[in-house]
Amino acid sequence: MTAVNISVQDGAVTQSLSGEAYRQAARSWLATNLPASFRSDSTAFAAPSLTQSTGWEAALHRAGFAGITWPTAYGGHGRTLREHLIANQEIGALPMPESVNSIGKELAGPIILAIGTEAQKLRFLPSILDMTNIWCQGFSEPEAGSDLAGLRTRAVRDGDVWRVNGQKIWTSGAYRAQRCLLLARTGPVEDRHRGLALFAVPLDAAGVRVRTIKSIDGKEGFCEVFFDNVEVSQDDALGAPDEGWSAAIRVLAIERATNRMYRSWRFENELRHLIAACKADPVLTGLLEERHYAAMLAETIVDIDVLKAHVETAVDALVAGEQIGARGSLAKLHWSEAHQRFAALAMELLSKASLPLRSEVRVAQRRFEGIYLQSRAETIYAGTTEIQLGIIADRILELARGK
Amino acid sequence: MTNRDEGLSPAEFAATAARAVAACAGLSVAEQGVRLAGDGLVGVVASENVGGLDLPLSFAVPVVAAAGAGLSDFPLMENILLARLLQQRLPRIATTIVAGSISATVAWNGAVTASRQGDRVVLKGCVARAPRAADVGLLLVRVGESAAAIVPLASVARDESSGIDLTQPEYTVQLDAVSVPAENLFAEGTWQDLQSDAFVLRAAAILGSAETCLALAREHVSTRRQFGHALSYNQSIRHTLARHKLGLEGIRQSIARALFQESGLRERRAAFLAASAYGVTISEGAVQMHGGMGFTWDIPVHRHVRRIRALQAQGDASGVLAALGHDYIADVKPAREHAAA
Repeated sequence: MTAVNISVQDGAVTQSLSGEAYRQAARSWLATNLPASFRSDSTAFAAPSLTQSTGWEAALHRAGFAGITWPTAYGGHGRTLREHLIANQEIGALPMPESVNSIGKELAGPIILAIGTEAQKLRFLPSILDMTNIWCQGFSEPEAGSDLAGLRTRAVRDGDVWRVNGQKIWTSGAYRAQRCLLLARTGPVEDRHRGLALFAVPLDAAGVRVRTIKSIDGKEGFCEVFFDNVEVSQDDALGAPDEGWSAAIRVLAIERATNRMYRSWRFENELRHLIAACKADPVLTGLLEERHYAAMLAETIVDIDVLKAHVETAVDALVAGEQIGARGSLAKLHWSEAHQRFAALAMELLSKASLPLRSEVRVAQRRFEGIYLQSRAETIYAGTTEIQLGIIADRILELARGK
Repeated sequence: MTNRDEGLSPAEFAATAARAVAACAGLSVAEQGVRLAGDGLVGVVASENVGGLDLPLSFAVPVVAAAGAGLSDFPLMENILLARLLQQRLPRIATTIVAGSISATVAWNGAVTASRQGDRVVLKGCVARAPRAADVGLLLVRVGESAAAIVPLASVARDESSGIDLTQPEYTVQLDAVSVPAENLFAEGTWQDLQSDAFVLRAAAILGSAETCLALAREHVSTRRQFGHALSYNQSIRHTLARHKLGLEGIRQSIARALFQESGLRERRAAFLAASAYGVTISEGAVQMHGGMGFTWDIPVHRHVRRIRALQAQGDASGVLAALGHDYIADVKPAREHAAA
């Protein structure tokens, strides 16, 4: 399958619109501009190239669909969290490609907004949104996965600069990124969570080496990143050495509840695609009429509605000025497991298609095989299921741990 | 959420409802009706012209949840819904329900036939899953597909109580050519409307029960010591209860979502189905956490299991699940081949 040329109309969704009018304008823009070749439910689908993806995402930003709540001074659109939710509902309703810069938009950007200097905000944030700087996340290490307090990559102050030595792993998209949000240790390993600092490391710096890893879906999205005496400017240090990590954790608690807000609505788009594909096949149409499969699909509907409820409740709480705290773990845990169940159901249903395969079924098989394989990672990244359960037990239920 | 200009919030009703339910302990069903009515709980959504508070359904949610949490043996959900259903056509009966001087129930399973005879209607058939039908004066039955009729129970034979919920026993009722005034017959669509609201309130009742079960389990594992430390020291226990908390919040937020202005039958069914699935997991899990104590009458967790299972059956959870799936599938158009761009 080859990428094809795309053309996107420019122009922002009118800034003055709000509420339902904003929703309708967003829906209309997306429906008009999403290229047919980007629709993963279409027989015309062709996996977009990096150039096409960055072009599309830059157009999305210009139209008002990235940096929605970020201040206009930094390239954002200065809209409310409720409008962010509306835009995400409309984005999720369409089968468009995942962002190639989600780390920049949903992790690095919010952290820089929270703890960056004014100069850093002006330097980093607009380039995330216009897609001239793609970011990756350098947190995990071979000996520090869920337990980030055990990480060993070191940053040592050397006059006006920092020198970084160490290795990161599972760094998705590092091969295409310009910047790495690096978590490094400035103190001894025994300090655990103290002495951790964040840096915005340019990946073209001398001493940085990226090696791709072939992963479960056959793609080489995963990377190892090696830092060999890499010189990092003080201008690229985010927050104070002992403050950066704790501030980032506070941001991440909110982000866990609000990032990829579209996923509940994308989940429903996937469900509708599965059913539509089944209806294009006589055998699968018959299966849909069976009570067993109707009930299985209904369980997915309930899962989706519960997920939407988690997201909408989180938005309500944030708008009301409440602390989200550990509640973000509820949505992450529910979504990741429900999505895995659905992906397995989709694979099972589509495997029963009549032969020869219809093109609509083949398209769905390709999409859901990818979703199935990717979904296996969803209970691992952004805090494993076991970590989320621990957070809920510790911080929401406050279960005693001691003897 | 506030109501009009009165500054009321549903949450404020929770404490009142919990106190009222607790005060009903040891009272007869009739006495409970009077007591709960006195606190304004039976008429919470009924109109003011029958003595109700005329509040939205969201205000009934904490009331029914409190009844679930306290294992009330009064059919509160049924009376709340019937007071509102009857307020237009049978306002005098609705007024007596709101006042607690007569109580009612609903046969959630089965339907009867109705034939018109002058200004009366003759009902025939067998209905079931009517909570506390031996202790109340009125019964609502489904007629055909979606109509409904209200029947005085004084002259109607009821079978022995049945059902897994011993606190709020269910009854099967045989209607052998029971004649009621024609005004007791409600139009087609009445049953669906009633069920739609019942999905939300049944979910609320399960929420109350499940919340109590999780609180009891949390307390037990925090204080019960085995192998030299509290049960909550064990990761398997911690993670199981974390999953129960996830389920509980799923129920709570699904109910809230079902009450959004733009929500419809899908969201209401989803709230009930989420409550049904998670409620069973949480309550049965609480029995497991309690070990042998979970089987005694000193700890109410198995009574909550019974209540949740009864509510699941009254709402026909498996049938609703299949119907939700079939309706959703019917709404999706088949995929079509697209020309390459």
